[in-house]
Amino acid sequence: METETTPAQADVSELDLVRQCQAGQTDAFDQLVTRYRTRVFAMIYNMVHNEQDAWDLAQESFVKAWKSIGRFKGKSSFYTWIYRIVMNVTIDWLRKRQVKAGGAEFDDAIQLKEIDPASKTVPKADPLPHQRMEQNEIRARIDHAISQLSPEHRAVILMKEIEEMQYHEIAESLGCSIGTVMSRLFYARKKLQNSLRDVYENV
Amino acid sequence: MKTFEEKWTAWLDGQLSGKELIEFEATLPDLAVADAEKRDAQKLGSFLKQQLGVQILSNAEFFSHQLHERIARDTQDRHRPTSTWWTIPRLVWSGATALALFVITTVVLMNQHQPGEQSEYLTQILNSRVDPAANPNATIYIFESKNDNKVTVLWTEGLQTLPADYAAK
Repeated sequence: METETTPAQADVSELDLVRQCQAGQTDAFDQLVTRYRTRVFAMIYNMVHNEQDAWDLAQESFVKAWKSIGRFKGKSSFYTWIYRIVMNVTIDWLRKRQVKAGGAEFDDAIQLKEIDPASKTVPKADPLPHQRMEQNEIRARIDHAISQLSPEHRAVILMKEIEEMQYHEIAESLGCSIGTVMSRLFYARKKLQNSLRDVYENV
Repeated sequence: MKTFEEKWTAWLDGQLSGKELIEFEATLPDLAVADAEKRDAQKLGSFLKQQLGVQILSNAEFFSHQLHERIARDTQDRHRPTSTWWTIPRLVWSGATALALFVITTVVLMNQHQPGEQSEYLTQILNSRVDPAANPNATIYIFESKNDNKVTVLWTEGLQTLPADYAAK
């Protein structure tokens, strides 16, 4: 897993930083936050599709991590541990929002939308207005497809495909078995293949 | 025992090998179709990585600053319970003082409350004597009825006449 580090920070091992945090040193925690803030934010953003909500949830996750860092025993890596907190916070938030919305979200009946055939094959180095628009359209399609997945399926597919985490790391982060992770991955992929095939085959 | 979904996922991610791989591929009805499906899923993975893997946290420093502030507040809050230990003796003292004040006030008020002097009428009754000659079968009782708000009852029987000086005052 790539992290945001400066050369000076890289010298300090993660476990040392955790121990310093456990001794109450907030500076050490700042360093851990600096290492993971971008990835944590991106992970949450890809699940909730709203920058402000992602910001708030990332903040809440780190605050919870700080409060419970005393209980971190080092049995797993720190990022697996913090991802577990992030996932708990985010999935809980999504579930609450689903209840407020009357359960309308996470419907498995995915409605496929037709996209403009002209949107295919966009050269990435040229951010021209119409290309940016197409890019936004693609992003909106992805966000919509992901929003149709349950929070657990979202978490699994994003951790596997974006974070490139191993099955056992995902299982630790979500507090479930490896078999459950693989099963969720199977269904999440199937759903996204059905809803996004026309997009990724044309890009 | 792995389910088909688990085996399929492992196969798709290249996690099957050796005997397990051969056995799984043997169960597939059409390996060419499965391979096409595998390539499609891998394409989806690359596409998601390409599209979603570039999310940037704008104002990263402000993010850390805001978090630092929240943690500082939290740390202050954590220290607060230590000082509440000092308020427990304070609470005990306050309670004891309040109880003492209550007891003192009650005692003072009780002492101030003088029981009413015995009425002149009751004195007269208690001092009276029934003349056995005039009222041979007379009996007089005086008692308090506890059921009727401590009413004092004068119970007379066999009186021929009631002395004039028994008039109620």
